[in-house]
Amino acid sequence: MTTSHLHHSPEVSALPLALPALAALLVFTSPGAATQAAKSAAKPDAAQAGNVEEGRQAFARHGCNACHGSEGKGSPQPLVGGPPIGPPPIPYRAFTRYVRLPTGQMPPFNTQAVPDAELVDIYAFLESQPLRADTATPTGNAENGKRLYVNYGCYECHGRVGQGSTQTGGSQIGPPPIPFSWFAKYVRHPLGQMPPYTAKAAPDSELADIYAFLMSVPVPPDAKDIPLLNQ
Amino acid sequence: MKDRVRSMAKPRKSSVDRRTFLKNTAAGAAALVAKPGVSKAGPLEEPGSAPPPGSSEAGSAVPSNIDVQTVDRSGSDFMLDVIKSLGIEYVCANPGSSFRGLHESVINYGGNKNPEFITCCHEESSVAMGHGYAKIEYKPLAVFAHGTVGLQHASMALYNAWCDRVPVYMVIGNILDATKRVNSVEWVHSVQDAVAMVRDYTKWDDMPVSLPHFAESAIRAYKIAMTPPTLPVVLVADGELQENPIPDHLNLTIPRLNLASPPQGDSGAVEEAARLLVAAENPVIIADRVARTAAGFKHLVELAEALQAPVIDQAGRLNFPTRHPLNQSERARELISSADVILGLENQDLWGALHFFPDQLSRTSRPITKSGMKLIRITAVDLYSKSNYQDFQRFADADVDIAADGEATLPSLTEAVRRQLNSDRQRACEDRGVKLAAAHQQALERARNAATYGWDASPISTARASAELWNEIKGYDWSVVGALTMFNRWPLRLWNFDKHYQYIGNQGGQGVGYNLPASVGAALANRKYGRLSVSVQGDGDFMYAPGVLWTAAHHHIPLLTLMHNNRAYHQEVMEVQVIANRHSRGLDRVGIGTTLVDPDISYVKIAQGMGVHAEGPISDPGELGPALRRAIEVVKSGEPALVDVLTQPR
Repeated sequence: MTTSHLHHSPEVSALPLALPALAALLVFTSPGAATQAAKSAAKPDAAQAGNVEEGRQAFARHGCNACHGSEGKGSPQPLVGGPPIGPPPIPYRAFTRYVRLPTGQMPPFNTQAVPDAELVDIYAFLESQPLRADTATPTGNAENGKRLYVNYGCYECHGRVGQGSTQTGGSQIGPPPIPFSWFAKYVRHPLGQMPPYTAKAAPDSELADIYAFLMSVPVPPDAKDIPLLNQ
Repeated sequence: MKDRVRSMAKPRKSSVDRRTFLKNTAAGAAALVAKPGVSKAGPLEEPGSAPPPGSSEAGSAVPSNIDVQTVDRSGSDFMLDVIKSLGIEYVCANPGSSFRGLHESVINYGGNKNPEFITCCHEESSVAMGHGYAKIEYKPLAVFAHGTVGLQHASMALYNAWCDRVPVYMVIGNILDATKRVNSVEWVHSVQDAVAMVRDYTKWDDMPVSLPHFAESAIRAYKIAMTPPTLPVVLVADGELQENPIPDHLNLTIPRLNLASPPQGDSGAVEEAARLLVAAENPVIIADRVARTAAGFKHLVELAEALQAPVIDQAGRLNFPTRHPLNQSERARELISSADVILGLENQDLWGALHFFPDQLSRTSRPITKSGMKLIRITAVDLYSKSNYQDFQRFADADVDIAADGEATLPSLTEAVRRQLNSDRQRACEDRGVKLAAAHQQALERARNAATYGWDASPISTARASAELWNEIKGYDWSVVGALTMFNRWPLRLWNFDKHYQYIGNQGGQGVGYNLPASVGAALANRKYGRLSVSVQGDGDFMYAPGVLWTAAHHHIPLLTLMHNNRAYHQEVMEVQVIANRHSRGLDRVGIGTTLVDPDISYVKIAQGMGVHAEGPISDPGELGPALRRAIEVVKSGEPALVDVLTQPR
């Protein structure tokens, strides 16, 4: 007859992010097709042209290391501070978009705070970091992940393409702004309102598929390019 | 000393009572058929000689007073005079024999105008219509219902209104005198204490035993309902009192309605609250139902601007313009956690806003506020509380607690703030305002950015549906007459709400079945102002009492309904999932009992079947705008219209 309490809390934003989590790249393992495609689109010329050393300095100068650790290794306390982001697996466009207008707990950095040129350098610096276990992405089947994403009810709070919802508390996770290691940890032991998924309910291999699906979600157009969102 | 307004009621020419009349009518008719030529002047019935009510003999009693079968006016006419004196525009009701006297008085004696009888299909709809109407009009309409089955149907809607602090004025029929109940139906529709079942969530009730008593109690009930905290009231109109002729000796008068002034906060406490707010470096205002009227909306802007303090609008009502630079609703967590002084205004759940309490197996909570934060709380709810139902929420430990109407207290609080602001504090406020303005713009950009995710998805994202709707209505004088919580609050995040009537908040008690009838009721109130009423309608809520769509069509109530059709009681899908996850039992069956599929419901056919323009279901976002435009043309012609949209869950 009546609805019970809502999943609405100041802390329900599921993922304690500070910078866009950039899941590790697929050279580490055999990448799923969708994730590989995402990687292919990840590095526009601007990003490739970044200066690694300038990026290292900018990363420190703007305080990114306060949450993400030096060289983007992430917070020493998993799921609490900033996730590891070196190297960044998500496209440069998604990276810049998240930095400018983050959907998690990270404070926004506009172009006055971090000019585009410096962001290019930071991205290049992060890309230069060696792949580690906590930034690697396992092989995943995006198609199967899409099916599992619905079957496991992820869409209920996060929307069918991972767009997120403030009402449910489900974060924007399509594409996911955290590496797979954090994604998996959070699914097992969420800190907010999200119900935990044990390995019995959702095996690791299936989490990889779901992650691959989320990585395959295209980055949407910018709001400024959508007239309906500018009135 | 109050003036008293003399009633239009006049002495009656007969004093036959209505139950005698009923029996006489039936028996007389039978006798006349059976025995043509029988004298109209039959013997008077002896007291106690009548057959038991409902018995087979009741219809064959020897007629008495058969020569007096009509009366010029009965008690219900006077009752209507009283109701008219309250300025009540509408009566929402299903027809019901226990108030047939009042019904007939409304449509004939009263000319079916002020009040006009609005035909409803469920008592829950009647009350919810009154609920929605009151939030636009700031006063109640009347609801008639049976004292038994009608009130039972209406009870959940009354609870919603109670939790939402909305005045609902309900008049219910009953026959208290057991010897006057004609048949079994009147027995099962009679009750010793009709209001008992809803007394825990109504503010006041009475069961008048005479017409003068009715007059006083009717005026008193209205005043009590309208005095903050505004809440539902119930009046019992006894069937005998309705239908018996008005006794000749009665000199009936109607007390004058003179509403009580809303209670304002104690001046000393208000000064102390102002002192804390002025001295604060990071004050935060959290408003929920403080803007009872447009005046509250204006007063809150004045207070916020005097302090240059951020406002978090919890939107139990529209308390604050969404595009005002001090509207910081999108930054609630961040601001609350850094606040040194928080002012809570008519909050349903202030404790909940200040704490983190995840819905996990271990139910533990922690404050999100910083140590030493001072809490000021102003609410009229403390002036009238009950204990059984737990709508009063968890205890918020306030440093300054003011039991008073928030809206009425705001002007004196603002004045005290202005008085206490010296030049240094004034400058600090101005500096804060500059930063908040920038943060507001950034929050708007973030909301727009968030809206882009899933922009072209099908089912249609709630953000996209919201943007398409805004694009079509923004050129009109519009009013959102349904709740927006389940629509991810997108309109409140993206649209420009700058008038109080542009949003009426939610259902209060989270009782499903509110939104559709409340929207129709609020649209009824908006009709005379020529506003474009718009509602986002959940499918689960729709199915409780869809008959109110017929009411909208029948009474030509213009309303644009956008179906938020996610084919589920989606909140409950998530709730069941929480438990299934907790047990690691898999999620493949959480749709059992929570989804509305197989078959998919055709809201279009339902609406069309009730005479409402409808189209859909629409799953292609590109088709939504044109469909909305066509529907708006229908609404502009004075009729309801519905667009069924297949949407993302939230």
